[in-house]
Amino acid sequence: MDITAWNWEVMTPEFIILGTATILSLIDLFMPDDRDRRFLGILGLLGVIAAGFYVIKFAGAEPVQIMNDMFRLDSFGTAFKLIFLTGVALLFILSIQYLNRQNQEVQYRGEFFYLVLTALLGMMIMASSADLITLFVGLEVLSVSSYILVGIRKKHLYSNESAFKYVVSGAIATAITLYGMSFIYGITGTTNLYDIAERLASAYQQGFSLMIYLGFFLMLVGLSFKIAVVPYHMWAPDVYQGAPTPVTAFLSVLSKAAGFAIIIRIFLSVFRSIVNYQSDAGSFYVLFQELNLYIAILAAASMIIGNTLALRQTNIKRLMAYSSIAQAGYILVPLVTFWGINFFSQTLFYLVAYLFMTLGAFAVIMVVTTDRGTEDIRSFAGLYHRSPFTAIAMTIFLLSLAGIPITAGFFGKFYIFMSSVLYENYWLAAVMMGTSIISYIYYFGIIRQMYMRPGDTEARLAVPLPAAFVIAVGVLGTVAVGLFPDLVLNYLNQNLQFTDMFARP
Amino acid sequence: MSGEFIAFFILSLFTIGGAVFMISFTRVVHMVVSLAFTFLSIAGLYVLLEAEFVAVTQVIVYAGAVAIMMLFGIMLTPHREQEEDAGRAQKVVAFIAVAAFFLIAFFIIQGTTWDPSVHHFTEDNTTMIGKTIFTQYVIPFELVSVLLLVALVGAIILAKREENDSE
Repeated sequence: MDITAWNWEVMTPEFIILGTATILSLIDLFMPDDRDRRFLGILGLLGVIAAGFYVIKFAGAEPVQIMNDMFRLDSFGTAFKLIFLTGVALLFILSIQYLNRQNQEVQYRGEFFYLVLTALLGMMIMASSADLITLFVGLEVLSVSSYILVGIRKKHLYSNESAFKYVVSGAIATAITLYGMSFIYGITGTTNLYDIAERLASAYQQGFSLMIYLGFFLMLVGLSFKIAVVPYHMWAPDVYQGAPTPVTAFLSVLSKAAGFAIIIRIFLSVFRSIVNYQSDAGSFYVLFQELNLYIAILAAASMIIGNTLALRQTNIKRLMAYSSIAQAGYILVPLVTFWGINFFSQTLFYLVAYLFMTLGAFAVIMVVTTDRGTEDIRSFAGLYHRSPFTAIAMTIFLLSLAGIPITAGFFGKFYIFMSSVLYENYWLAAVMMGTSIISYIYYFGIIRQMYMRPGDTEARLAVPLPAAFVIAVGVLGTVAVGLFPDLVLNYLNQNLQFTDMFARP
Repeated sequence: MSGEFIAFFILSLFTIGGAVFMISFTRVVHMVVSLAFTFLSIAGLYVLLEAEFVAVTQVIVYAGAVAIMMLFGIMLTPHREQEEDAGRAQKVVAFIAVAAFFLIAFFIIQGTTWDPSVHHFTEDNTTMIGKTIFTQYVIPFELVSVLLLVALVGAIILAKREENDSE
């Protein structure tokens, strides 16, 4: 088939992001060194908004594929791309504030902006392809961009250390993922996810079952790096602490969402159709009735380890790292109890809620830690007297992360919890409940600092406009989604037919 | 015992041996040389599998470029011979984990009955690779160029010496 015969129009959002990144790098190259580069952030923001426009325009259409599913436009990808683009838009606003003239730590400001865009490109590819090679290249574009972003504060010792740790553990995770993929490829002889699904189902009957399990576990372990869950969570605290705060926000929200996109896409597409006919208890689906136990164990372990280790942290970014390990554990729960079409809306609902509350929280953390010059939790002491609105906003984000009613986080957690109970996975629901209660201790610890502890200073905290905007959007999103959760769920269910992920156009 | 089997045996021995020596040597130069050995033997294994193009690429990129780059890196940076003092407990745990993984993978691979028929690739597979990359795989191919650009930018901004650097 001729290369021009494909419907390349569906890739418009990706082309816009790629074009914006190229233009930014060229402008950055020819601009005098001493000029303020923050307008590059505004250009990048415009590119992201334009891409978002096209993603919304294509939403809800019949799935389209290019070149044997190398690229695929379907509802699953569209939903994730909307999350990525919203997150990166907010992140750009936050970075414009972060890279102000007082900040001498980041010397390469132009690079900062276009590396975020290339990372975004990688994430968008990860969400909208059904071919192992393309998915893997997307994953690597994201990973390499984020390694550099983590280490972009060249003169900062922690930043160097964390970038190095991130590269090394990331490379090992990549190797493990590829090793797992190689088994799956070796059994089936194709990289197309739909062909793999068909051939795996018959290969399972022909005595390749153990090989399939090996591939499954290796891919699960390798990909768990991106979402920072057990067994690949050890890097998160060090890297989150050393990275510049906007990059930490990027890692904990966007990179994680992209990790979920690739995990859900690969595991549901590839292992969905394997059925075991030989068991004594009658035939059953291997992924949903056997392998999901191991995902459940990882989810439970992440919740327990994340929430208990967060108790001992005094550095706010380390605390958020452990909290994000636990949050990733919650988001894995719907994958365990998959049965039913509500799976997609539950996962995406939680990711939307998580996006608003976490980005908002990091905006507050950035303002407060820059002002106090320390990342200790005590820097929040007396925040209520210094800037009541910031303190109230942070309280809303923390309550949402903890899962207290009338916030987005509550409904997200509630739906996930109910899915676990409805499918009679009581022990996982119990772990989720118990660890949520443990998490109250450290979330309320920060709130106590803000309202009840006297701070070193009573001076008013000036919140710059871009950061204030991000905080306001965060509060609005968290509260609005919390008050009207049905609106979001209805939008997701009506406009996006998630099951078209399994349909070959 | 066919000639192919003997070649396979020798090449795998070199591959594994090079990798083991790479880990156990303490001088960086020795490590690079044993690593180059592994790379070359892997290229030989590719030839056995009738993948000449991949074999040549392996020699050019890994044995050529990567090993030479590492030697340059060693020449241009100050380094001392360093003995890593990993704790004894850590070593034991690592050994058990690796051994367990090896046993699992070994038994799974041994326990699987493979299709004994052998496929020979008679076509000119370099041409086929070129055609596939530039038609069906053009999207990942273009993305790889973005990946290389990002890596290049990253290498420059992280390694470049600043004007105001001391030294």
